[in-house]
Amino acid sequence: MLLQLKNIFKWVNSGGQRIFLLKDINLNVHEGEFISVMGPSGSGKSTLLNVIGMLDAFDEGEYQFLDESVHDLREKNRANLYKEYIGFVFQSYHLLDDLTVKENLEMPLLYKKVKGPERKAMVADMLDRFNIVGKKDLFPAQLSGGQQQLVGIARALISSPKLILADEPTGNLNSKQGEEIMELFKQLNQEGVTIIQVTHSEKNAAYGSRTINLLDGRMV
Amino acid sequence: MFKNQLKIAWRSIKKQPFLNALNTFGLAIGIAGTLIICLFIYDELSYDQMFLDSERIHRINVDAKFGGPGREMSQVSAPMAGAILNDIPQVEEVIRFRPWGTTSLNKIDSRELVLEDNATWVDTNVVSMFGLKMLYGDPLKALEQPNSMILTKSAVEKHFEPSSAIGRELIVNEGQTFTITGVIEDLPQNSFLAEYSVFMSLMGFQDAFQNEWGNHNYNTFIKLKHNADAADIAAPLQGMMERYLIPYAQQFFPGITLKEFEAAGNYVNYSSMKLTDLHLHSHRAEDMGRNGDINNIYILSFIALFLILLASINFMNLSTAYSLKRAKEIGIRKTLGSNKKGIIRQFLMESGLITFGSLIIGLAMAWIALPFFNDLAEKAISIPYSSPVFWLVLFAAAILLALCSGSYPAFFMSKFRPARVLKGSGETSLGGAKLRSGLVIFQFAISVFLIIGTLVVGEQLQFIQNKDLGYSKDQVLLINNLNRLNNQAGSFKEEVKQLSQVADATLSEFVPTPSSRTDSSFFLEGKTDQESAVNMQGWRVDYDYMNTLDLKLVSGRDFDPSIATDSTAMIINESATKVLGLSPEEVLGKRVANGLGEDALSYYTVIGVVKNFHFESMRNVVRPLSLRISNSLGYMAVKLKSGNFEETVSKIQGIWDSRSPGLSFDYRFMDDSFNEVYENERRLGKIFIIFTSLSIFIACLGLFGLAAFNAHKRIKEIGVRKVLGASVGQITYRLSVDFLKLVGIAILIALPIGWFAMNRWLQDFTYRIEIGVGIFLASALLAILIAMLTVSYQSIKAAIVNPVKSLRTE
Repeated sequence: MLLQLKNIFKWVNSGGQRIFLLKDINLNVHEGEFISVMGPSGSGKSTLLNVIGMLDAFDEGEYQFLDESVHDLREKNRANLYKEYIGFVFQSYHLLDDLTVKENLEMPLLYKKVKGPERKAMVADMLDRFNIVGKKDLFPAQLSGGQQQLVGIARALISSPKLILADEPTGNLNSKQGEEIMELFKQLNQEGVTIIQVTHSEKNAAYGSRTINLLDGRMV
Repeated sequence: MFKNQLKIAWRSIKKQPFLNALNTFGLAIGIAGTLIICLFIYDELSYDQMFLDSERIHRINVDAKFGGPGREMSQVSAPMAGAILNDIPQVEEVIRFRPWGTTSLNKIDSRELVLEDNATWVDTNVVSMFGLKMLYGDPLKALEQPNSMILTKSAVEKHFEPSSAIGRELIVNEGQTFTITGVIEDLPQNSFLAEYSVFMSLMGFQDAFQNEWGNHNYNTFIKLKHNADAADIAAPLQGMMERYLIPYAQQFFPGITLKEFEAAGNYVNYSSMKLTDLHLHSHRAEDMGRNGDINNIYILSFIALFLILLASINFMNLSTAYSLKRAKEIGIRKTLGSNKKGIIRQFLMESGLITFGSLIIGLAMAWIALPFFNDLAEKAISIPYSSPVFWLVLFAAAILLALCSGSYPAFFMSKFRPARVLKGSGETSLGGAKLRSGLVIFQFAISVFLIIGTLVVGEQLQFIQNKDLGYSKDQVLLINNLNRLNNQAGSFKEEVKQLSQVADATLSEFVPTPSSRTDSSFFLEGKTDQESAVNMQGWRVDYDYMNTLDLKLVSGRDFDPSIATDSTAMIINESATKVLGLSPEEVLGKRVANGLGEDALSYYTVIGVVKNFHFESMRNVVRPLSLRISNSLGYMAVKLKSGNFEETVSKIQGIWDSRSPGLSFDYRFMDDSFNEVYENERRLGKIFIIFTSLSIFIACLGLFGLAAFNAHKRIKEIGVRKVLGASVGQITYRLSVDFLKLVGIAILIALPIGWFAMNRWLQDFTYRIEIGVGIFLASALLAILIAMLTVSYQSIKAAIVNPVKSLRTE
């Protein structure tokens, strides 16, 4: 098992009232799964993804990731854990505008202190795999949305994570670009990468092996 | 319309409290600092302007060299004034002062001390020539009689009703009786006469009427006629030399001509200096006022300019940086039909409001800080609330400041194109980044420069403090006015020496710290030409002098009371030996005379050579000096053993009081007296530190604001980097390093300028430090450290933000 959420609650206090963002979430994810999280706006999809990605804390419950108890870990160890095993893909790509495609890909490796030659090899490998060798010296603004998201996924993949978390990865793309990205996810999943995506579209959700529906922070 | 704009300006200021608080605070500090400095400078420049016809009054200076090193004097010989009035038609009036130092006035009957203050002898026309305000007495005739004197109002009012003071008789310095013939209004703080409250008529002073050209003892002032030019009198003034001084010199050197005199390397140069220039430009021995220094005025002007510039730059920097936040507002305004002008007006209105607020806060700050500053600078400056000119200048300056600092942001922002800024959440690329970096560099270059200045001044002062002076000033008590004890002084000294806590004591009017000085020419026996004259200090001391002050001998021996011939013995210093052209060993046993041939007054045998000791400021080289045994009453220097000084001093005071009831016991420690010589530097050092700190603080405010803005602008990038695994440390480093680069460039710019400027300042000192690498390193490190502290707060704050917050897609 890759990860297990047990009775996860998350809330905020607003005006003396406790507003639940996540309510009693129980979720087991096995390696190689491709899960789609669906639900209306404000149902807690992104919050759930952030909790799984260890970017956000939760208030109650237990979270096991590869036999580590995330809820018992200190901030720093948690960061090390997600650095090692999780890659993030965002709706608005979040590439760094001042860096070229190549430099954007290189960044996670820099933070993992991968040595120079090895880093170059990995970047070259990734450029090759995504067929963007010709664009390696361009800046994000010079790319189309689809291409930018391609770079975003490549960046998420470069440190060979076990899990990819994608928050509406096709939300800013047209349907053709979206389809290409989803095909890519499917292919990655077949290669063994576990994927959890948040999406609004039934069509995209269908790429997944399993769909979770959220409503007002609760799994339905 | 105006009211509406004002209202909107106020609202938008309120909307960004952090930015506008920084802006207002920075400007207020800049205004307060600049205001104080300007008031100080104004005060310094206003010296002696209040006197009647001050622009026509000049002082006669003389630069003379006659054996030994040259001297720049502010006093000329007694007959000079009369000669000038007689010979130079452009001169309307002349006057002489003969300062007499601290003088006591006692009542005749009760001997009660009325006053102890600075007195000067003066010619009869002092009231009319300087336009002094005579409260009681006849302004023209008050000083006509010998033994008459004019006092200031505050000098008399403690003891008499000023109106009834006229005609009263007082004893001056326990000797002659003088009659008060006039009471004048107190002299203004910013005048060369500020320290004097007793003016005694020269009519009764014999020396003033001798035809003695050899002594230079009179501060002599001339008033030129209307339309006369100071340049016109330069030649006739110098002509006095050949006309009077050479004939006088021929009494001693028969047949000497001006040419021969000059051929020997000697000179006497007369010149005149404007009364109103004296305070800042005259650094001569025996200046009457406590003078300032024009260099300090320049330095302070620069600092004032820096301060206000720094604050103004902050304003521009922060306003343009934060304008990004307002791009949308401007876009909307433009689409609603506002033109460029309207937007500029709106922003100028805001900067005007902020400047106005800063002005009020700055005034309050200056008002609070002024007493402390006055204390430091020994001034009595106040904010001239009642002067309309002051307010006019202040408001004009404020408007100028608002325009200067507000116009760039206003024009910058008015150029935003609505289509681009309204497009949505996308960042508008913000122009002006280069300019902002340039301004930050400029600010820090100034700060680093000021740090270097502060460190150099500090180190030089330290150097002076620690330099081997050739004498020991520590634990030495200086008791003043020994002359009042007259023949009791000797036994007083012996009694003090008996105290167990006293190591030694000596009587002399000459001590290495400021005290009497007397210069005269000495000749080596057998050499009768004027070339071998040595102009040196002739100090009269007693047998305990060398020991008490811990003077070191280079050769020979100290005075010995058991050797009868030592009453005509002399010890000279190394400089004197050098001028005589002999080695310290050769000079022993030689005889010197103060006079030539038959005119020689007396001969002295050199028995020792004392190591040069600093009896003048370190600005000057140690000049030739001689010590000889003679009764000389002025100070008593008492070397104390370690222990309870207070107790010892009170014991000594007990002995003093038992001998001279009613005479005040006036004492101080020698190192305090020593420190006073460098008071000017010390003050400069302190003022430097204060305003350096202020300017650094202002620069930091700006940097702080920019760092906050920068962190805000890069919030998304920080989020992405964190998600991709960057640690807080790495993010903090990334955010800080750009600013540190700017500071680094600033340091590189400031170092050579600082080195150059401070080396020039040091040239004033004959004995000075070398500016070492250490100072530069320290300045650079300090600047970096300060910048780092400033920036890191914002950087760390940004770095620890949870990326979930910054990456939300809305």
